[in-house]
Amino acid sequence: MNETIVSYLGETLGLNFNWLGTLVIFLIASLILASFLALIGGLGTYAERKISADIQMRYGPNRVGPYGILQFLADGVKMLLKEDCIPRESDKFIFKLAPILCFAGVLASLAVLPLSSGFILSDLNVGIFYLLGVTSVVGVGIFLGGYSSNSKWAMLGGMRGASQIISYEVPVTLTILSVVMIAGGLSLNTLVGGQGAYPNGWYLFHNPFSFIGFFIYFIGSLAETNRAPFDLPEAESELVSGYHTEFSGMRFAFFALSEYIEVFVLCAIAAALFLGGYNVPFRLGGDGLLGQLFQLVVFFAKSFLLYYVVIWVRWTLPRMRVDHLMVLCWKYLTPIALFNLVGTAIWMYCFNGRSMYMILKHFLMASGQ
Amino acid sequence: MFLVIIFSLSAFLAVAGALSVTFSKNLIHACVYLLFSLVGVAGLYLTLGAEFVAATQLVVYVGGVVVLLLFAIMLTGGTNLHHVTSRFGLESTPLMGNLRTYLMGVVTAVLLVVVLCNVLQGSMTGALVSENKFSSTVEQIGVKLLTDHILAFEISSVLLLGALVGAAIIARPHRSSESEN
Amino acid sequence: MGIIPYIVVSCVLFVCGIIVMIARKNIIGILLGIELVLNAAALNFVTFTKFNNLNLDGHIFALFIILVAAAEAAVGLAIVIRFFQVRESVHIDSATQLQS
Repeated sequence: MNETIVSYLGETLGLNFNWLGTLVIFLIASLILASFLALIGGLGTYAERKISADIQMRYGPNRVGPYGILQFLADGVKMLLKEDCIPRESDKFIFKLAPILCFAGVLASLAVLPLSSGFILSDLNVGIFYLLGVTSVVGVGIFLGGYSSNSKWAMLGGMRGASQIISYEVPVTLTILSVVMIAGGLSLNTLVGGQGAYPNGWYLFHNPFSFIGFFIYFIGSLAETNRAPFDLPEAESELVSGYHTEFSGMRFAFFALSEYIEVFVLCAIAAALFLGGYNVPFRLGGDGLLGQLFQLVVFFAKSFLLYYVVIWVRWTLPRMRVDHLMVLCWKYLTPIALFNLVGTAIWMYCFNGRSMYMILKHFLMASGQ
Repeated sequence: MFLVIIFSLSAFLAVAGALSVTFSKNLIHACVYLLFSLVGVAGLYLTLGAEFVAATQLVVYVGGVVVLLLFAIMLTGGTNLHHVTSRFGLESTPLMGNLRTYLMGVVTAVLLVVVLCNVLQGSMTGALVSENKFSSTVEQIGVKLLTDHILAFEISSVLLLGALVGAAIIARPHRSSESEN
Repeated sequence: MGIIPYIVVSCVLFVCGIIVMIARKNIIGILLGIELVLNAAALNFVTFTKFNNLNLDGHIFALFIILVAAAEAAVGLAIVIRFFQVRESVHIDSATQLQS
């Protein structure tokens, strides 16, 4: 994206940038992206309250702005103005570091989001692998937050949260590996570009193994962000809000915001890997700026659809006990994910990497003549 | 110039993290400084054009080894605290080394640096050291792993299986043998 | 950029790892030093592939170093946890059962 912006500005405005100009453009672009996604995180809190209210047949916040849309700003101001309590016996360095680690991990994962074919902030050669590494830093942050609070509830919540995150990374990584095998590369442009715009080109319907893989990825990413039926580390009835019990004000806002942005990032990656990403039907708008805008709209529509499903699942299913959670991961999801990997490899070898739709089409055309 | 900036930042992070690991008194702090140092080394890999190795470093070390170390510290109650009763009711002993051990360490380190400089001097001659502008792609590494280094690849998979099963068996809680002791 | 800065960084990491391995009395502290030493070695491998050869053997070997370090950390920490279950201490001087 940096090259496209620099070349675009160079052509239209005739400016020539040295390394300092390139660096400044890159910083401005990443600042815009981070702010935009923080805005999405804030609106996610509002969306969650409104959607949960809709499911529970009540009104959500509707006083602060038109339809209560400025509620997240009011929450932000409230958190900024709260007193910053640090427990006396806590480990102060780690206490201050833990929310920053969580937030840094989530912000670093924004660098490879495939918003459109031109708007990836950094099209790394190893995009999806980098994403897997960076979302593990969030687990370290949760563990340190739980440890540094010097309280039993926080310690238990931190250990459960960290063990949940590192356990569910295994089926998520295996599922992503099977999709990478279909696409042939780790870069996110390769992964999205290999899909078509219509559902028959999506990797969701490529073979039955990737169909199962989508659900494994979805369940695993719900567990990775401590969300939905897997939110035991932050359960209010069991652990008095778990690992972020002792954090108040802006530190708690870092934890909460990092959770909402991470949910959006994982939904966006699910949309990119399985639902066709930014590919626009009919290739509207061509390849210029209008095409990029259409791609952005399609990508955000798919991500928000999955985000709605995540919120819907949270307010529908009861919470899972921690040993059920671990059993689900290690005894069910990981064997299924391994079976998926082997099955995808066999499919790619037997059918030369064609999807179910392509095989059906060839079969019908061959038998029709 | 961009490369110099990224190199300086990563090298500063790596070296400062390593120095903090050696001279910190708290084991959890040392683990966190190790995390910073590993992220710095990943940045150095990026400046050397090794993107896949940098991503692997992030996934395996930062996401795996550091979490494992933190869990092990929790399970062995090994934090160095100044007050007598620690969080989990265990006694705390000064486990982070005293002046004598650090002096021995520094003397060994000085000797080691002298030996290393003598060894490396021979390989630093100008004709051998030339900079190449390449960066490896994942496809090249994949092809190499499965053609030239296939034996090491297969043996490492067996090694990982052994490590997984072995670690799970060794660290299992043994209730019966504890009651015998 | 030159090769000397990378060699200096790798040397500093290695020396810090050696100091940690000698000076610390906590077994997990010693394992921290081992991780630093392995990182220094892998950094050296990757540096020399960029500055000397054009084939990727150094990158492959760095990958194997990372892999082996992870496996060794896992097994080592399992041994430490078992040691703590038996001895109730992670001080290195309490591992004296094989001493004559």
